[in-house]
Amino acid sequence: MDCSYSRERINKFIDGELGYLEVAELQGHLSFCADCSAELAQMSEVRGALAAWGRLELAPSPGFAERVTAAVELEPAPGAARPFGRAVDDALGRLDETLGCIPLPGGHTIPVKNVIGWGLAAAAVVIGLERRHLRRSRELEPS
Amino acid sequence: MAASNLHKWATLPDPSPAELARAAEGDAQAFTLIVERYQGMVYSVAFNVLGNHTDAEDAAQEAFLRCYRKLPQFRSEATFSTWLFRLALSASVDYQRRERRRPEPVDVPDLVDEGSPDLGDGVTAATLAAALHDLPDDYRVPTVLRDIYGLPYQEIAEATSRPLGTVKVMVHRGRASLRLRLRAEGARSAAAHAGAGKRGAA
Repeated sequence: MDCSYSRERINKFIDGELGYLEVAELQGHLSFCADCSAELAQMSEVRGALAAWGRLELAPSPGFAERVTAAVELEPAPGAARPFGRAVDDALGRLDETLGCIPLPGGHTIPVKNVIGWGLAAAAVVIGLERRHLRRSRELEPS
Repeated sequence: MAASNLHKWATLPDPSPAELARAAEGDAQAFTLIVERYQGMVYSVAFNVLGNHTDAEDAAQEAFLRCYRKLPQFRSEATFSTWLFRLALSASVDYQRRERRRPEPVDVPDLVDEGSPDLGDGVTAATLAAALHDLPDDYRVPTVLRDIYGLPYQEIAEATSRPLGTVKVMVHRGRASLRLRLRAEGARSAAAHAGAGKRGAA
């Protein structure tokens, strides 16, 4: 196992994505490669520092809560009648939550509602073309 | 949810159903109490994602506005802090994708609790804040979501609209950059100490 390969595995090891045999293989490499052992130790230190940093609670500047309250007071009450655009956004958002997404290769996803929408649009186009074809056929028929 | 650093805020008592109902009916004072209780959590999330104070405050305010608008949709199956944490994360990631980052000198914000800013292994809060600040957005955001908040890679890919493989590479590079940066800082600080020791001995 060369070191660039092993370094990729160190990240996978940290993420808990290695199988039993891969862990054993990595451990075998670490037992004689001081560079990779040092890298694993340093990566663990970085992750430990990030976790500790995330546990600190940072404070916004004084008066932040008052500024948020002032912005909230300009809003309509949450349950009140809302502008049409936001009501549509909310309805589409709820539709997405209900219908979910279809996973695609490469980690992409596509909302089910979009697929349904495209399907309906395609069906409308096909029906329109069919009706046009029928109309022309009737026009060409000898009377 | 795998948010490793949520437990701290999950221990905060949730607002009572009566408080939430008052806020959802448009009682600004009731909502202010919620803001005062959770502003540290929401601002911390925004600062970690965005890396500077001004953008973090804007995104934190946006998160609270989303919270206010969506309060009638809150269901008590999740704790309020978990729900608000999710809103803070999505508001911050959306802000990062929408707005150009403001160039600001690195600054460690004040801490809410009196606590030691030493993060272990000789890494100080100021060193880590500077290292995170200097990471490009493409590396910092997925690294923060993964290694500070413990989100699964798939969820990070969805939040940032990037392919799963790309997100993994970005996290790996983010970790590697932080490692090099913290190592360089460690070496610089050790050299400074050694220099001071020699001057003291002389």
